[in-house]
Amino acid sequence: MTDGIKRRDFLKVVGAGSAGATLTGCSTEQVERLIPYVVPPEDITPGVATWYTTVCDGCSAQCGMWVRTREGRVVKLEGNPEHPVSGGALCSRGHASLQHLYNPDRYTGPMIREDGELRPATWEEAEDLLAQEIQSAGGNVLFIGGHMGPSMNRLVSDFLGAVGGNRVQYEAISDAPLRAAAQMAFGHDVLPRYDIEHAGFLMSFGDDFIESGASPVAYQRQYARMASADDHGAKGKFVFVGPRLSLTGQNADEWIPIRPGGEAALALGMANVIAAGGGNAGPYASVLAAYDVGTAAQMSGVSESTIRDLADRFVSEGPGLALGPGVGGHHRNATGAHLAALILNAVAGSVGRTVHLEGGPRSASAPYADMEAAIGAMADEQVGVVMVHGTNPAYSLPTVSGFNDAFTSVGFKVSFSSAPDETSAMADLILPDRHFLESWGDSMPMDGVMALRQPVMQAVPYFDSKQAGDVLLSVAARNGANLGAATFYDFLRAQHQASHEPAMGDFESAWRRTLKTGVAMHAGAMETGAAAALRPLDSAITFDAPSFDGDGDFVLLVHPSPRFGAGELSNSPWMLELPDPVSKITWHSWLEMHPHAAEARGIREGDIVTVASDQGSVDVPVWLYPGIREDAVALAMGGGHTDFGRWATGNGVNAMDLLPAVTEQPSGAMVTVATTVTVSPTGERRRLATPEGSDDQHDRPIAPAVALADLGHEDESHEEGGHGELQELQGGGGFLPVPAEGGAPEAFPLEGARYGEYATAHEGPRWAMAIDLDKCTGCSACVTACQAENNVPWVGEEQVLMGREMHWMRIERYYEHVDATEASHLDVRFLPMLCQHCGNAPCEPVCPVFATYHTPEGVNAQVYNRCVGTRYCANNCPYKVRVFNWYRYTDENVPEPMNWQWNPDVTVRTNGVMEKCSFCMQRIREAENQAALEEGRPVRDGEIVPACEQSCPAEAIVFGNVRDPESRVSQVVANERTYRVLDELINTQPAVNYLKKVTFHEVQSGGHE
Amino acid sequence: MATSTATERGALTHPDVEQLSDVNRDVLKILSKPGKGWWILFLIASAGVGMFLGSWAWQVYRGIGVSGLNAPVGWGVYITTFVFWVGIAHSGTLISAILFLFRAPWRQSIYRAAEAMTVFAVMTAGLFPLIHVGRLWHAYWLIPYPNSRFLWPNFKSPLVWDVFAVTTYFTVSAVFFYLGTVPDIAAARDGSKGLRKKLYSVISLGWRGTDRQWHHFGKAYIFLAALATPLVLSVHSVVSWDFAMAIVPGWHATIFAPYFVAGAIFSGVAMVITLTVVMRKVFGLEAYLTTKHYDAMAKLCLLTSLIVLYAYLSEFFMAWYSGEEIERTAFWNRLFGDYWWATWIMLTCNGLVPIMLWFKRIRHSIPALFVISIFINIGMWFERYVIVVTSLHHEFEPWAWGIYRPSLTEMGIMVGSFAWFGFWFLLFTRLLPPVAIAELKEVLPPPMRKRTKEAHS
Amino acid sequence: MSADSKGFLASFDYLDSTVDAIENLRKAGFKEIKAYAPYPEHHIEAALGYGQSPVRVFTLVGGLTGAATGFAFTTWTSMDWPLVVGGKPIVSIPAYVVIAFEMTVLFGALATVIGLFILSRLPDLKPSVVYDPEFSSGRYGVYVEAAAERADEARRILDAEDPAELREGEEVADV
Repeated sequence: MTDGIKRRDFLKVVGAGSAGATLTGCSTEQVERLIPYVVPPEDITPGVATWYTTVCDGCSAQCGMWVRTREGRVVKLEGNPEHPVSGGALCSRGHASLQHLYNPDRYTGPMIREDGELRPATWEEAEDLLAQEIQSAGGNVLFIGGHMGPSMNRLVSDFLGAVGGNRVQYEAISDAPLRAAAQMAFGHDVLPRYDIEHAGFLMSFGDDFIESGASPVAYQRQYARMASADDHGAKGKFVFVGPRLSLTGQNADEWIPIRPGGEAALALGMANVIAAGGGNAGPYASVLAAYDVGTAAQMSGVSESTIRDLADRFVSEGPGLALGPGVGGHHRNATGAHLAALILNAVAGSVGRTVHLEGGPRSASAPYADMEAAIGAMADEQVGVVMVHGTNPAYSLPTVSGFNDAFTSVGFKVSFSSAPDETSAMADLILPDRHFLESWGDSMPMDGVMALRQPVMQAVPYFDSKQAGDVLLSVAARNGANLGAATFYDFLRAQHQASHEPAMGDFESAWRRTLKTGVAMHAGAMETGAAAALRPLDSAITFDAPSFDGDGDFVLLVHPSPRFGAGELSNSPWMLELPDPVSKITWHSWLEMHPHAAEARGIREGDIVTVASDQGSVDVPVWLYPGIREDAVALAMGGGHTDFGRWATGNGVNAMDLLPAVTEQPSGAMVTVATTVTVSPTGERRRLATPEGSDDQHDRPIAPAVALADLGHEDESHEEGGHGELQELQGGGGFLPVPAEGGAPEAFPLEGARYGEYATAHEGPRWAMAIDLDKCTGCSACVTACQAENNVPWVGEEQVLMGREMHWMRIERYYEHVDATEASHLDVRFLPMLCQHCGNAPCEPVCPVFATYHTPEGVNAQVYNRCVGTRYCANNCPYKVRVFNWYRYTDENVPEPMNWQWNPDVTVRTNGVMEKCSFCMQRIREAENQAALEEGRPVRDGEIVPACEQSCPAEAIVFGNVRDPESRVSQVVANERTYRVLDELINTQPAVNYLKKVTFHEVQSGGHE
Repeated sequence: MATSTATERGALTHPDVEQLSDVNRDVLKILSKPGKGWWILFLIASAGVGMFLGSWAWQVYRGIGVSGLNAPVGWGVYITTFVFWVGIAHSGTLISAILFLFRAPWRQSIYRAAEAMTVFAVMTAGLFPLIHVGRLWHAYWLIPYPNSRFLWPNFKSPLVWDVFAVTTYFTVSAVFFYLGTVPDIAAARDGSKGLRKKLYSVISLGWRGTDRQWHHFGKAYIFLAALATPLVLSVHSVVSWDFAMAIVPGWHATIFAPYFVAGAIFSGVAMVITLTVVMRKVFGLEAYLTTKHYDAMAKLCLLTSLIVLYAYLSEFFMAWYSGEEIERTAFWNRLFGDYWWATWIMLTCNGLVPIMLWFKRIRHSIPALFVISIFINIGMWFERYVIVVTSLHHEFEPWAWGIYRPSLTEMGIMVGSFAWFGFWFLLFTRLLPPVAIAELKEVLPPPMRKRTKEAHS
Repeated sequence: MSADSKGFLASFDYLDSTVDAIENLRKAGFKEIKAYAPYPEHHIEAALGYGQSPVRVFTLVGGLTGAATGFAFTTWTSMDWPLVVGGKPIVSIPAYVVIAFEMTVLFGALATVIGLFILSRLPDLKPSVVYDPEFSSGRYGVYVEAAAERADEARRILDAEDPAELREGEEVADV
């Protein structure tokens, strides 16, 4: 990675001090009339990318980003390697936030509601109106805000202080119970920082840290490092405890399919055993006494032996780390469950080793209770003006919460939403905020880490937006209040100047440096404190199993979507078409149900069922999932928007229609696992829009695994698929380079050409890739990264149903062992499948026009312009990684200004041509040219980073030159776990090498080995 | 031709045909006045051609996506129909060339129709590769022509072999067909007047039936037949290699070439039966198309159906015997998978139905043969559908398995292609002698003055 | 051929009379004999004493040219811009055999047709008096040229086989 940074550094990551550049980005007219720059803007060289740093606002984890702009337009988002949270990676949602910048449904300007209709207005008009409304409201203002950076946070407080009013922070996905538990256990009002990387025995009691929660990218990276087998054959163990296998759960080595709400009992039971074995229970000894193994087993439904066994290993295979129920598991006693997990950590002595109270994430953790109060206030008409910023309660609150009625009853309603959402649909005044890529800001993802957000491009000209901070300042000014700055930019600078530590040099240069690097580490960042001791229980807390409303046969598990979060990203075609990492379903909603439960009710997959709770009901198709308990069903958030843009509106169902509006005690968090539901068939059916053909490998050597015990036995590994050296064809023939000048036709035939060689010398690179399946978590960040980098179009639900999805990269998910009835080992295989760039590529010889052929560098090239569209290559590709443009997807599906995102370095393909992964050829060439141009040297290992590798939070992908024995890829490929898919069967000699997943259990015979 | 031998003499005997000139009378009357039946058929065909071209135009305008094709099933109804028509073509050449070399006198009365069928079938088949490509406007890149890009087609690709095989086949069979017709066009010329006479005089090349003309004509005809024979075998072998050269389980088999050739002749002969039975009725050719001919064609069907059935069985056997899991799954899936119905239609129509041909009574019942021939045509279309689709939709990667549902457009084009074929065939029956005049005379007993004296003087 | 020679065109209903007429004319030493038939009649050819037709030479040459062209062309184009596909040799002879074969047949067939046209003087579109539409239907024909002094002899030989019709031409038709 470090080399990667060097490269980009020298690509001049520019700060916005010189970011006047961003304001001179070419506007549409310039592009359309093709007027060249008369005065070329600084920092913009046509054809050369300019990189800026900023901070992702896709979720509250606030990953640092590098933004790639071309001719003033953002074309790609990447993780900032210097940022402690992202560590250079970025998740799917982070990539997709780019599509909300170019979201064609954004408000074109401020809007004022007049007799029921919204009409366009000028900013003057709009701000005047707001100013006087606030005046007339007599300081009775309510500000409902989402998660925001320190400076904005401060500004809002100052604003309300000046104009009079109060605020509530509302976050649809909030870690409040964990925070409350930490407060109770240790007296710190923080989210603890889990050191997953250094855990030896990880237990998640329902925390989906990989796809949702405090910091997905950071925790996933740590998890991959911890859970993958290292060179010494050491591998951390991961046990997942929960009623449903989330993506995180599917990555576990063992699954305890516990009944919903049983976690606390299990954790305390384990703690009890450990305490008995000499662990220090501190003030909780008495509490633990009540949870002897028998009681715990009876309460949790987990066998005594299992509890004992887990307890032993939690210590012996430690350091152990227990994670309480995450944002997907908030039941009525969530705080208790979190507390139980913390107690377990404390008793096992993990606090201070794997659980730290310093430097924890500052992620969303506001209690819903405040919101409840606010709803009451609004309903009682105690509110004059309500302002909503950065959140969408009308959608993400339970329908029965009464928000909508309360909100509409308020006299004057203001929304800062930049694009239509359910809340702004009811607003009287709409002041479209800037997208975070267009605006200034800062973030403090964790203690001591300060990162700046800067506008990386001129605001998209189609949309007359204004940063909320600027609006507040000018409105305040209109009402005669001076908040100390004219613009939010000044306010921001002032804030940081105030908090500037002299130790970091003079402010100006520090400011510049921070803008350049994107992050500033303050003193005390990430430092690890001593083990905090448990404090006695000060408030009433119960560890009992929670109650669930209604008398349905299933507990309804409502969880954040790995793709949409709580629904903020539901209008991104990338996210909609990205197969859900768990169900692999695209576009529409589905209900997860265990096959046995479905069978018992005569329900088949694809049947549309009515899911009914006391609060309401929805009709949704069933997806049969062996990874969920028979007494539970699951529904993801993010569907069923009623007013959220062309793609989201009316797509799927909203789980919030089924939930009661209850708060968890004492944290005040919203309860998402709150009710039971009944499931009854409607008699209708539909086909699920999924790319999945079969979830069973059928004993084929596609995603084999090797038992940890078998590692190091050469003979073992040699029986398995695709081992041995990567043979070079024709004695090194096919892959040798032609001198660039030699490309002239008269230079052919090159010496030895008739023997299948481009030349006779053994020099030049052969590009290859290695993917460690023991690291891959199936999060699918690579899929979206590839889509963004390579102009891969989306095709829409009806085309997916026809089997025409276009992704160049897909994550295959095969079940080996998934048992929801008892605690047992778990084996789910993830396989990122992309073009294998075979040495003996079956696709090449069948093309009648040489549209695909083998380059001297060993890449299987696809020449779009030459393609006639016989589709013979796709038929003959055993990996089925070739995708075809059945229609003009790139024209027909992509409205202005979403096409601004196209990467200018990659052809936009048209109707009737075949396409596929190119190993990011444009990046290979860019790196080579840079190296040659700037330093006249060959490209170095690690300078070429394909989009998938760049984005992978698990660091599972490595790309490089296998001819260079020193290269990272050569090193990795030398691993005994290396195999190549189907290679030993059909001798395709792929350039993509996989490292087998390592399991703790014996792997079944047959192809899996 | 100059090859007739004493054994063939009198091969054709029918009370209505006493002397040579009767043949001209009976055959040329077909050209003169079209019956009602002909017009009805012609109108139907024309309508079908409209649908055919319309659907194709829509596809070109909107994109190949209007088909039901997808990944993994990149080939479907179009390629199926392509192979079907190429197959149909084969029996024409078989009857006109191979049976000619083997001196089978019964071919004389049917070979002209069969040969015309060949030409039009290849013409139809040739359209399908064009129909199925994603960018029709670039399809000419498959033809080797010097260009500024210094790019030539990839001669390693079976598709380029196809281009050469099919175009050669079309050229040669067209020439063969035309040459054989020249003397009969001359006959038509002499029997007609006005515009038709002018037209026939030109396209008969001024044929006069002089000894020299007959002499070289005969030799040339033999050599053409000798060239056409290996050609016809090669063409369907090449077509079969489109599949056999690929690694797709269910395609990658060495038996494909002979298997396809047999299948081609099977379906082709069936098609000849279908067509001639109709012609016989519409043009009243009972005297020239007798049960003797149908019996012979039925036997040919029976033989080839046995070969094809053997091929099916050996495929299944090899899949099992190989012990290769992926191969086994492919064939198990063929019988009991998503497309089981197609496979069973194929087995029934091509394996079971032809068993009836063992019985002489059925071979001699023209209605029965007509029905059976229809079944065989359907069965052989489905054979190609099974090979193309069931193999593709379950390949190596279970994750990438998929289902293919043909679209209306595809169906329109497929059905339309039959109309397109019929359109040309109907025109042919009106413009050229659909039954060979000269060849028939060869097999009539020659007129002798001294009945007692044998012709060999 | 002297200007005062005559041409006789006899049409016969019967094969044997035709054959006899030809044979007798040849016995009598007539050289310019031409026969017509509605279908290829080997007895007539035998009577006229035909040998092997040189068409086969055309076929052979055409075929060989085709084969050579096929191999040469495929090989040359592969070398012209060598691109590796599927790890196969740039020049893959086995694959090119198919092309070579098809071109052998194509060239062979076309050469045969050309040969036929040249040898049998086709196409020949100018009308000729020495023809009877019946020849394409049911009758055989024999045409013979005789110098004035042998005209009677020729007429007698033809008459002996009682032709359905016997035409005489003062001036020789160009045949």
